[in-house]
Amino acid sequence: MAEPKELMARYCDGDAHAFRELYAAVAPRLLGYLMKMARSRALAEDLLQQTFLKVHNARAAYIRGADPVPWIYSIAHRTFIDEARRTRRAIVHSAGDDVPEVPAAITGESVDRADEPRADPELTAATLAALGALPDAQREAVVLTKLDGKSVAEAAAIAGTTVGAMKVRAHRGYEALRKALGRKGAKGAAA
Amino acid sequence: MSDDAASHLDALAAVPPPLAPGLSATLEAELGKLASVATRRPLRQLAILVGVSLVYGAALLGMLTMRQDLAELPMAWLAAAGLAWLVGFLGPAYLALVPQTGTMTPRWPWAAAAAAVSSVAFVVLGRLAHPTGASSLTYGWERFPHGHGCLELGLATAVVPVVAGALFLRGALPVGSRWIAACLGAAGGCLGGLVLHLHCRITDWPHVALVHGSVVGVSAALAAALAPRATDRVLERE
Repeated sequence: MAEPKELMARYCDGDAHAFRELYAAVAPRLLGYLMKMARSRALAEDLLQQTFLKVHNARAAYIRGADPVPWIYSIAHRTFIDEARRTRRAIVHSAGDDVPEVPAAITGESVDRADEPRADPELTAATLAALGALPDAQREAVVLTKLDGKSVAEAAAIAGTTVGAMKVRAHRGYEALRKALGRKGAKGAAA
Repeated sequence: MSDDAASHLDALAAVPPPLAPGLSATLEAELGKLASVATRRPLRQLAILVGVSLVYGAALLGMLTMRQDLAELPMAWLAAAGLAWLVGFLGPAYLALVPQTGTMTPRWPWAAAAAAVSSVAFVVLGRLAHPTGASSLTYGWERFPHGHGCLELGLATAVVPVVAGALFLRGALPVGSRWIAACLGAAGGCLGGLVLHLHCRITDWPHVALVHGSVVGVSAALAAALAPRATDRVLERE
């Protein structure tokens, strides 16, 4: 498959097939990021469509030769923040609340992928629950740097913050996760 | 991080990405009428912004008058101060419009720093160096409020680079748009300062530092408040 920058350039030249290829290449990762942020597959899919519609409307801002993926992630970040501010539904949850959907829906595993190697569902559910309890900024820092494999600088550019602030958010997110998962581990051992 | 938390995160990171849904009907409809677009060319946009802004500044100076004490002031100071204003215009304009090679989004932390530094620096420089000639005017603190026309002229000069920059950056700034706008405003304010430097013959430090110098900060603040409405419109929810 061609690189995202080649696909984006062809798309800006009016090639609709290139947009479909770009979508196929970027959308799964972006949906995973949005699902972990929004904690709802339905909302994440809506945000994904909004993100790509904005990419389409703003495609004239593309600079040939540049990697469009961080820009698309930034648009997704902004779309999530705007939605969370608008409705508050994506971030409101009570203390001790669990993940609102089954892990398969959050992680996106489906019957289509039944043959692929699977992570331990209990581990995944516990991690998602702990992740969901983090504040938005810390959750985003952990998702981008630990789960999506972005560097701290890339994550800072996506979230529109400084490298130093992103490091602090990621560190605080880790600490909160460590404590939350430690508590769950202790409860599990006691049971 | 404990091994436990690390293993939890590793397990989650190992989960394959979810299957994305198909394109929405709106996107399909947009693709059905897809047309070629001219993509952003930052250096070309910078050249246009600088050229148009300098021509506009020169036209303003042509409509007004050059300062009457020009020949009485130290040439070294005149040239150095003019160069400082010009660099204050070109540097932030570059940072606001031109991203690092291979990326799409301008370096907003640098742009923010440039806006902050130039907003303060020209006030300080105006306090430190403000030579006077025989034909110069002195307002002092007594007539300080009467100097507001310079602030207005400086801001009027800043309008063109700010508007041009905001038009060029539509859709390019999903994050950091206020900082980039502030940087554009600071650049425009410095161009305004250059016009004032060549036009205004009031040379006491309160006027030079607090009116001419503050054009940069005021312009940056106004641009930060207003320009994102133009740059962000295309990225807002429909």
